[in-house]
Amino acid sequence: MSVDLNSEEQAVIGQIERFSSKVLVPAAAEIDAKSRFATLHRPALAEMGIMGMNLPEAYGGIGLSGPALYCAVEAIAAACGSTASMLTAHFLATDSLLLGADEALKQRILPAAAAGEALGAFALTEPMAGSNPADMRSTATRDGDGYRLKGSKCFISNAGEADFIVVYAKTDSAAGARGVSAFVVEPARIEGVEIGRPEETMGLRGGHVFPISFDCHVPAENRLGDEGTGFRTAMKVLDNGRIEVAAQATGIARAALDAAVSYAREREVGGQPIGSFQGLQWMLADSATELAAARALGLQAARKRGTGARYSRDSAFAKLYASEAAWRIADRALQIHGGYGYTRDFPLERYLRDLRIFRIYEGSSEIQRTIIARDLLS
Amino acid sequence: MKILVPVKRVIDYNVKVRVKADGTGVDLANVKMSMNPFDEIAVEEAIRLREAGKAEEIIVVSVGPQQAQETLRTGLAMGADRGILVKTDATTEPLAVAKILKKVVEEEQPGLVILGKQAIDDDCNQTGQMLAALLGWSQGTFASKVDLGEGTVDVTREVDGGLQTVKLKLPAIVTTDLRLNEPRYASLPNIMKAKKKPIDEKSPEDYGVDVAPRLEVLKTVEPPARQAGVKVADVAELVAKLKNEAGVL
Ligand SMILES: Cc1cc2nc3c(=O)[nH]c(=O)nc-3n(C[C@H](O)[C@H](O)[C@H](O)COP(=O)(O)OP(=O)(O)OC[C@H]3O[C@@H](n4cnc5c(N)ncnc54)[C@H](O)[C@@H]3O)c2cc1C
Ligand SMILES: Cc1cc2nc3c(=O)[nH]c(=O)nc-3n(C[C@H](O)[C@H](O)[C@H](O)COP(=O)(O)OP(=O)(O)OC[C@H]3O[C@@H](n4cnc5c(N)ncnc54)[C@H](O)[C@@H]3O)c2cc1C
Repeated sequence: MSVDLNSEEQAVIGQIERFSSKVLVPAAAEIDAKSRFATLHRPALAEMGIMGMNLPEAYGGIGLSGPALYCAVEAIAAACGSTASMLTAHFLATDSLLLGADEALKQRILPAAAAGEALGAFALTEPMAGSNPADMRSTATRDGDGYRLKGSKCFISNAGEADFIVVYAKTDSAAGARGVSAFVVEPARIEGVEIGRPEETMGLRGGHVFPISFDCHVPAENRLGDEGTGFRTAMKVLDNGRIEVAAQATGIARAALDAAVSYAREREVGGQPIGSFQGLQWMLADSATELAAARALGLQAARKRGTGARYSRDSAFAKLYASEAAWRIADRALQIHGGYGYTRDFPLERYLRDLRIFRIYEGSSEIQRTIIARDLLS
Repeated sequence: MKILVPVKRVIDYNVKVRVKADGTGVDLANVKMSMNPFDEIAVEEAIRLREAGKAEEIIVVSVGPQQAQETLRTGLAMGADRGILVKTDATTEPLAVAKILKKVVEEEQPGLVILGKQAIDDDCNQTGQMLAALLGWSQGTFASKVDLGEGTVDVTREVDGGLQTVKLKLPAIVTTDLRLNEPRYASLPNIMKAKKKPIDEKSPEDYGVDVAPRLEVLKTVEPPARQAGVKVADVAELVAKLKNEAGVL
């Protein structure tokens, strides 16, 4: 556990570890095998106060520090990647409001979201705008007392069960990123929101992602902040979100390494535990070192969260390194399990499939490198 | 009515206990510690009684090192109202703890004291009984059901060969068995709020109790490793082995 945490936060993490091992771990393999939407854990997560743990107390959260939130997400991901992904997508939605909305909209949406009564989704990506969201084509044009929202989004986590979706669209198509605004769309309350079937994905098979198309009216009070502030909000949200992706990568990698260590102790080949072979010892040592480095970078970024200082570069370091290191760590862990690691009787192949997306979403590894390099050269 | 729940900080039940190399005890360095699971059941039972309107205040008390404060916070996060930490670094033996608890009971005047039937570290199974004797109160140990009435409490006890129900006059001592209830998880907001609940710090001297151990541990050893079993081909072979080798038939 991180030395950054105070005693209440340590107790919080201890409780999440306990909850995760009792409630999340036993269901994780089935969620994956049957593609069951991880929202099945929503009532239990809500009861624990986990759905709002990224928010300050004023909005129904618990006011965790950045490092504590990092450790909390790591613990949940170590137990069930799909659940962590569903949860952090919800956080992207509530964070959008926290960072971008006025007080009235925050008060209307956040307490219910924190209590887990309302599930959120974050809709930025479009078919023609992934790595470069400023290319988005969705538009919101003035229409009476609100806006006409038109366009489509894809890969939107949680959308199928979401009570509110934070949708980014252009209020000024000529202004590029500065023309983007964000809106709360409540699919059950309005006409004209079509949510498609969930995609068939390689991993995180319980973290469902949906295509959405809109042709709907949105009231003006559902706009987050002023017109044209949406892109800035999205970038700030992703600075936080990337720390959470790093935490998820670290969590799954931790689970993989733990499994590899116990397997190396127990499995015997030629009358010796395989852990006695230097070839495997060095794999384990490299994995443990990379895991520690990933966590250190994640916590460094997490410490800056909430200080007011910009930390885009720290988030990028954390996400880039953790998502790539986690892949290597889980791959070695599978290797150490021999043929058994390749079967579904063990969680290793699931860890690898679940992890793979962390190098792609919320800014691919290439985009993280671009962010870092731009910062170096600017 | 007040309910007093003594809680002990023990090695976590998931930890694989290792004996120190010099045999002086078990290794507690960097080992996860938690509330004794039977005590968690005791806290849960107290909270349920309060939720049912049968109790007003729940006080958790722990005798142990400074870190036992974390154990008290766990109880407060579950729903207890305030805590008392009786701070000592001495090895706590049941009689010393029972003597301290007697003083706490005299000060607090609870109608019910609910304890775990035993702590999973030393498995003594003595503190509740000793406290009942020191106070001259009735006791219902190994409870799997607690039914609080007017001035009495019915306690269903898990005894060898079945269940026994005793009716005790209040105030009384109850010790919990595993099946009494399933303790709740403290929610994260309640864990954060627990830091605002009061914990009184005391020492054994405040109660005039000498906690010096009366027992001396001579040596601590690992239990012998279990021998591997054998597979038998059929029932006949099994019966033969039980008869001739094990000598149990
Ligand atoms: C499981 C899952 C969940 C998701 N959840 C959400 C969600 O909740 N909300 C949401 O809005 N989106 C979500 N997404 C979308 C995700 O963020 C995008 O897939 C991601 O941003 C990449 O965009 P793309 O798929 O269009 O790839 P593209 O942008 O087409 O990229 C293709 C390749 O080109 C590379 N590339 C692109 N530009 C550059 C460049 N300038 N330099 C170098 N290389 C470059 C990329 O790194 C990548 O390797 C999710 C996706 C998945 C698969
Ligand atoms: C999909 C699939 C198809 C298969 N098909 C066949 C088939 O058709 N026929 C067949 O006979 N078998 C088959 N196998 C079995 C496969 O060949 C074995 O899984 C493989 O030989 C590894 O053995 P193991 O799984 O027991 O791993 P282990 O031998 O237990 O190895 C575990 C780990 O220890 C390492 N290790 C072991 N010894 C040493 C050492 N001395 N030094 C350093 N590291 C060591 C290994 O490299 C591995 O990383 C198949 C397996 C799978 C998963």
